[in-house]
Amino acid sequence: MDDKLTISLPTGRLKKDSLALLSQLPDWPSGFEFESRKLVFEEATSPYRIVFSHPKDSSTYVEFGAADLGIVGKDILLERGNEVYELLDLKIGSCTMVLAGPQGVTRSQLWEKEELRIATKYPNFTRKYLQERGITADIIPLYGSIEVAPTIGLSDAIVDLVSTGTTLKENQLWVIEEIVPISARVVANRVSIKIKAQLIQQFIKKLEKVVKHE
Amino acid sequence: MVDLALGMKDGFPREVGIKRKIENILRTLFRKWGYQEVEPPSIEYYSTLEKALGEEIKERLFKFIDREGKLVCLRPEFTTSIARMYSSEFLDITVPVRVFYDGKIFRYPSSPFRTECEFTQVGVESLGQNSVSIDAEIVALAISSLQGIGIQNFQVDISHVGVYQGILDSLGLDKKIRESIHSLVGKKDFTGLKKIIKNLSLPHPKVGNLLIEFPFLRGKIDVVDHASSFFDSNQKILATFNRIKEIWNILVDFGLERHVVVNLGLVRDFDYYTGLIFEGFSPLIGYPLLAGGRYDNLFSLFGKDLPACGFALFAERLVEIMAEAAFSSSPTTPISIQYPPRLRAKVFSISENFRQKGIPIIMEEKPKDSPYLTIVGTKGTFDLKESEWGKIEEIIEREQEKHG
Repeated sequence: MDDKLTISLPTGRLKKDSLALLSQLPDWPSGFEFESRKLVFEEATSPYRIVFSHPKDSSTYVEFGAADLGIVGKDILLERGNEVYELLDLKIGSCTMVLAGPQGVTRSQLWEKEELRIATKYPNFTRKYLQERGITADIIPLYGSIEVAPTIGLSDAIVDLVSTGTTLKENQLWVIEEIVPISARVVANRVSIKIKAQLIQQFIKKLEKVVKHE
Repeated sequence: MVDLALGMKDGFPREVGIKRKIENILRTLFRKWGYQEVEPPSIEYYSTLEKALGEEIKERLFKFIDREGKLVCLRPEFTTSIARMYSSEFLDITVPVRVFYDGKIFRYPSSPFRTECEFTQVGVESLGQNSVSIDAEIVALAISSLQGIGIQNFQVDISHVGVYQGILDSLGLDKKIRESIHSLVGKKDFTGLKKIIKNLSLPHPKVGNLLIEFPFLRGKIDVVDHASSFFDSNQKILATFNRIKEIWNILVDFGLERHVVVNLGLVRDFDYYTGLIFEGFSPLIGYPLLAGGRYDNLFSLFGKDLPACGFALFAERLVEIMAEAAFSSSPTTPISIQYPPRLRAKVFSISENFRQKGIPIIMEEKPKDSPYLTIVGTKGTFDLKESEWGKIEEIIEREQEKHG
């Protein structure tokens, strides 16, 4: 049987922080040039095979068994609802999923609107969030620049990630509700966790120590 | 171009060939173990299924209104139907009853990113006895099924629903926290679980840690001793651990323990299990190949107190594995005999002879004045003149030799 762990790592925002943590592991391969454009890293002596994926795809690689483990933002897990085991909070890439709207607008003002429209990169998550609160709204799925949606009259509010709040302020928005804290998580495939249980458990224990020292 | 209905799949000869071969292996095997085939109906009243199934699966049923205005469903699995069948008060049965089934089930997908809704399940049920030996028989038969199909590398994880229930019970949680813990375990969100448990002041903090470590409570039988040490001697969970040990010991006597892993963190998504639970895996595929367990209260929902234990194999997942392993795949190509009409009777009789021997023959009639009889096989095309018409059998037999 394959005795290596295939780990899917996100490119983009989380890549640097993830690698900073992982490189503290005693058995993390030192020879890989992660700065290059290569996406798959593998060598005979390394216990890990590393695959870089679009940040939104990392947990999908894991769900379908293309990787045993993956690092992925909690926001993606909430949006995609991947059938994976969530094992460890890496406490990197921390931010908050919020409902935000034009400064001065309150939640009850929003909820009482006759036709409420909410723009988001997270349509599935937003639908569930609204349903749990008994609110009906039109969800406007956007791929970027969510913050301008209220300014240009595309939506009444947005559901998005906020870390410092600067972007919100620049667009005359404020946080109406903090919905859920977000950070990067380690997830595992549901069969890998059974077939490669020991390897995965050891990996998580080693990684846990590194996270605690942060 | 006409659309295929959403969620349905057309089966073409190659895949269907592999699937039927797997089904035949399993049906033969189950008969050898003394199980007899039953055929529950495709449709059940919603009110029947509702009694047995959990909320999540109820939302995924294909539901219709029949012409009497009753809500009916395509079966989402076989076990509930079999429980209904054998709960009839007019049926005289001698227990244990050993039955198997093989057929289609229908469920809407659990995720918006999946579409497939129709699946084939082949499985067994042993009705009427709650005994360790039946539990072990069912697990042994599951192992034998995967071996019989020819899957080399697999593992069967066994546990007992009482482990998870017992851990939750011994934590003495109030209902609301218990529900949120249960929901996180269901979602496999162990980071969320850890946060909740760390914030509780638990009477037995070590048992709380057991829950955090849940996915990794696995190994050979020593894992049961390890887990037992966290509990006082009077707790119900110890009887559960003991039951797992007894099942394990029988599987050791059967010489099957190398295929078995005790995985105390196993949780099954059907609500009706009451005892043993198990799942079978292969490293080649990201989903279980089979799943099952004991459900002693299911029949009482239908008015009969009958313990039962069983499992089902997911045929499409087996096909996926066996297709990758090049499961002696190519279906036998039929030999075609193209004949002038005046040879019809002779060719039909020859064809029937070969068909009885299991050699597939296609008959094709040529125009009336055709001077040749033609045999098309895998080795070539043979045109036979009238003087050679005695050689038809000889040529077909030679085809077989070369082919075989």
